[in-house]
This record gives sequence, C-alpha cells and structure tokens, in this order.
Amino acid sequence: MAEQNISPEQLKALQEKLKQMSPEELKEFQKKQCIFCQIIAGNVQSKKIYEDEKTVALLDINPANPGHVILLTKEHYSIMPQLPDDEVAHIFKVVKSLSNSMLRGIDAQGTNVIVSNGIAAGQRAQHFMVHIIPRKENDGINFVLPQNTMEQKDIELVGNKLLAALGGAGALSSEKEEKAEEKTARSDTNLDDISKLLGVR
Amino acid sequence: MADRARESCIICQIIGNVIPSKKIYEDRLALAVLDVNGANPGHCFVMPKNHYPIMEQVPDIEIEKLFQISNKVSGAIFESLGAQGTNIFVANGVPAGQTVAHFTINVIPRKQNDGINLQSQPKQLSEEEISTVELKLKEQTKNIGHFEKEDEKEEKKAKIQFPKTAFLSDAEEEYFTRQMRRLP
Repeated sequence: MAEQNISPEQLKALQEKLKQMSPEELKEFQKKQCIFCQIIAGNVQSKKIYEDEKTVALLDINPANPGHVILLTKEHYSIMPQLPDDEVAHIFKVVKSLSNSMLRGIDAQGTNVIVSNGIAAGQRAQHFMVHIIPRKENDGINFVLPQNTMEQKDIELVGNKLLAALGGAGALSSEKEEKAEEKTARSDTNLDDISKLLGVR
Repeated sequence: MADRARESCIICQIIGNVIPSKKIYEDRLALAVLDVNGANPGHCFVMPKNHYPIMEQVPDIEIEKLFQISNKVSGAIFESLGAQGTNIFVANGVPAGQTVAHFTINVIPRKQNDGINLQSQPKQLSEEEISTVELKLKEQTKNIGHFEKEDEKEEKKAKIQFPKTAFLSDAEEEYFTRQMRRLP
C-alpha cells in the first residue's frame, strides 16, 4: 500500500497495538491494510479473468503487455516461502493454464512467469502474487539477467550451503525425498522473521 | 525424433551426467542445479527430468512438484545465503527469452542494486484494448479448473472432466517445437 504520513507518536502507538494483537487479530489487521485482500473481498474494483476457491487472476493495471495477468492467493501471504505445499501445487497449475490461455486466446508467442519475494527482488505489494506476461517478438520488454561466471571454490561453497539447507547429500537419492520435505517444513518457523526482514509483512 | 531432441539437449545431458553440474536437489522427476554462470551466486535451475520444451507440455503432477521444489530452493537461498529476496522466473518460448529447449525454472537470489531487472515499463492501453483482451482471456479461462490429480480415483475423474481444448493441439505443439529448433 502507498506510504502514509504518520507521526512518530502514531507509529509508536501502532507498533504497541500490533505487539498486543493475537495472531487472529493480526491476520484481520493485515487483511484490512492489504489492497489485494480488499480486491479479493470485492471492496475494490478489478478486472477478474479467473477465480476459484483458492485463487483470483486479474488483469494488471500497469501491464507490461496487453493481457498481463497477476494471480493471487485468496489467503493473505506476504511471500511465497510462507505458502503451504498444497497452495503452491494448486496456484502453479493455474499459472500453466493461464499461460496456455494466453497462447490460444490472445496470440501470445510465449509467456514469462515471475514471482518476486522481497523488496530487493522487485516486490511492491505485500500480498504474494504470480505475474504471467504474454510475450511477442520485439514487444519492447527487456528483462536483464546478467551472467557472472563463478569461481570453482565459490561453486562448492554456495552449492554445499544450498545442498545442506535442502536436506543434504541424502536428499539427492529419491528414497530420502520425505526427509528433505520434513526439513523444509521445520524451517517454516523462521518465515515470520524472514518476511519481517524483507519489509513485506 | 524425440530421442534426437534429447540427445542434443544440454539440460538432458546435465540430467544424464554427460555434462557435470553442481546438484543441490534430485528426486525421481526433478533436478535442481547451481547455475555457474548465473545472475547472482546461488542462482539455481529447477527442471523436469523428462524432456519438455515448454511449460504447456509439462503434466500437472510434474508442475506441482517442480514449483514446490523451486519454493524450497528459494527458502534455502534465504536461509543459507542471506539473500534479501528471491525471484522465481520462467521464460516460456523464444520471444519470452527462452534459450534452451527444455522447460526450466530459474530461482535467483537477490540483493539491493544487483543489476538484475525483471521490472517492465507499463504500457498505456485504451479502454477498448483492455476489454478485448479481458473478454478473450475470460473465454479461455472457462476451461480451467479440472486438473490432473496424482490420486488414482481423482485421476480417472479428471480424465473425463478435463476439456480436450485445454491442451495444445498437434499443430500448436508442432509450432512451438519448430520455434525451439531455432535455438542454438
């Protein structure tokens, strides 16, 4: 949501109030503050192109191309790591179908799927969403993804950190699949801290 | 034909260990590796082991798994690399920037001012353009909602309910495959 002018006193009072809220109250408060929760609730107008029990797809009001769609979870999540596995599974099946709809319905020659977690990644809203952008040749969109060659010692260092966080070498064999899942489930407890850090609570 | 596509596919060669890679996750259907020429250190690829050029060809069950894994990789990047953010990025089709004819999900660690830009300038559209695109997309999205399920009973049901039109026709698939062949 847009920045609001509030005095330091008001901010302090608000922070105190937030601290004393129960998780349920906090959830309600977030919902009231979030423009996308207001859109989902029907309090703010939008151009819905798809809706089911878990998701809503809207035309982006600042489209990169005609037909640029944002897909939202009805539940308020700030960032994707907070989503339970079943929500991730559902939302990306819808993403695939929306992409397909663009290829068939509006003569898109390709699509981009983009999720941004955190302000540093370009996230602007405090509600998790997936962008699906229909693409055509020479449409003027130019995403910049630089290429940087990693040194061998960094490949080992960074790779091993990720490997360990994903469940270690054991997870590289299929019988240890559940173990990796368990590990990620346990790490969910850190997510509140992460989203605070990201400034998208 | 399909086999030849696989043989020349760099991703299939990574999966088959013909080209060495730094693997960070692997299961029956998917592999995640570190991109050693990535946009940032820790940039990863998540890909299906089966060879599918574009997202529309990937079965729902594999889509589920691949994005769940991508989310876990993104979580691992936050946890273990101290990233300030992550992007999940898919380039589907050559005009969208796809460079390899094997469906791939990019998971990218982000820091402030790291030189990556996935934002785009908004285009000004007329009311008429907006309504046209809205109507055309709505016409298509009517078909969404009956997904292939892993559960056997559900699978049977889904097979009957899933509208045929939601899949790519042979001609369309041929178009995208041809487009992919233009890739180096």
